[in-house]
Amino acid sequence: MDSELATFQPVLIFIVVLIGFVITNLILAHTIGPRKKTPVKQMPYESGMDPVGDARQPFDVKFYLVAILFLVFDVELLFLYPWAVSAYAGPNGIDPVLSDLVFGVMLVFMATLVIAYVYAWRKGVFRWR
Amino acid sequence: MNPLISTLITIGVVLGGVLGGCSYLIWLERKVAAWMQDRVGPNRVGKFGLLQPIADGMKFLLKEDVIPSHVNKVLFLLAPTISVMTTMLALAVVPIGPTTTDSTSWQAMIAPGIDIGIVFIFAVTSLAVYGIILGGWASNNKYSALGSLRASAQVVSYEIPLGMSILGIALLSGSLNLETILQRQAEGGIGSWNIWFQPLAAMIFFTSALAESNRLPFDLPECEQELVGGYHTEYSALKFGMFFLAEYTHVITVSFLMAIMFFGGWNFPWIATPDSHYAGAWIVKFAVLHTKVLACITFVMLLRWTLPRFRFDQLMGLAWKVFIPLSLCNVVCTMFVRQFSLSWWWLLPVSLALVIITGLISMTPSPKRAASPLQH
Repeated sequence: MDSELATFQPVLIFIVVLIGFVITNLILAHTIGPRKKTPVKQMPYESGMDPVGDARQPFDVKFYLVAILFLVFDVELLFLYPWAVSAYAGPNGIDPVLSDLVFGVMLVFMATLVIAYVYAWRKGVFRWR
Repeated sequence: MNPLISTLITIGVVLGGVLGGCSYLIWLERKVAAWMQDRVGPNRVGKFGLLQPIADGMKFLLKEDVIPSHVNKVLFLLAPTISVMTTMLALAVVPIGPTTTDSTSWQAMIAPGIDIGIVFIFAVTSLAVYGIILGGWASNNKYSALGSLRASAQVVSYEIPLGMSILGIALLSGSLNLETILQRQAEGGIGSWNIWFQPLAAMIFFTSALAESNRLPFDLPECEQELVGGYHTEYSALKFGMFFLAEYTHVITVSFLMAIMFFGGWNFPWIATPDSHYAGAWIVKFAVLHTKVLACITFVMLLRWTLPRFRFDQLMGLAWKVFIPLSLCNVVCTMFVRQFSLSWWWLLPVSLALVIITGLISMTPSPKRAASPLQH
């Protein structure tokens, strides 16, 4: 295993320990404690009223819009991380010869981002009512 | 020592610390709440109610664990599991004690030397939204469904300013590794803490992280008056406890990140610098780090009883219309400072000016909004 991947070994061990921890929790929750099923307990809790209709109904399209916008911005963020780390990291980073070019490219990248952002704003995506 | 064994010991310490820490943070929170509301707070179980967390833990364990008949059982069980696992897993790359960037010696963290540190934390904690959605959907309850919809929209929206505010730090430090970020601040002393150069980023990060962990004033997904318990309405006993644990673990992680990324971690003038090698220096550094973390957590608790809850449109507006442009401005300013090798101290007045300008813009009534408050 190369050294870069080897640093993730403890994370893997931690995941295994955590899975053990949550499974123990679930089993404990299942075994300890009384169990008395009554019809009322099995009903959905709606503040004491008998539930009307189903909970799984269509919901507002605005939530989809937010999710789509999130995807756009999140992917854009992922492009920014490698640049942010390597741009001014000295010998490990970007070659100083390219520095000006990268700076210009990033300005253009952010300008396109701002255009998309303004478009979404003008379209009223952020207006929540 | 065998690395496997030392890792396992560290994991044990972290897990134990988080479990104990969470239960005593709940005690602290109740005491703070009582103090702010001029009450006494828990004082029955043990001296000053100090055994209250243990009693609460026993109660979580001994209560009836109801799994209603109308739920989707597999997803219902999976939801708290995902919540706990993701929030805990983020702690893997967080230094819980003094660290150095030396890769050969032992470090006070589970997984030292991971270069993508912060991105790892974001990647893992953003999976927590699955716990929320699954919990709400599997419960098959109207309150849960509404709560989980709100929560996922909120968490997803604040994810972006949270990620963007870190870009400034990455530009300054040239790394996403938390030990490296900490080391740069520790070597420069108090004058090189990131809070001086990235105050705006610190503010945005802290606020977005509060929103991510569904704490007041951002606790709309579980506001009692409207939605009973939000996405965990149908959960009881230890499964509810797991959601609770996840929330508090998130607060702890965020406080550690605040202390490490912005406030210099274990660094403190004179007593805890990279050059202090006196006996007990390790313990002093450990204490300094944990004092900073505790101060941050206490601040979160004080906020809870100071600010009223947001309205949902205000909440989404804050993320999309205020924080995203602000954090983008912050990144661009940092980029200019780095590109033209200006003094980093330029960032302090520029950040403060940005905050003031934002405040002025938001206070100017727009003609449309002033027309009629009743007209939607």
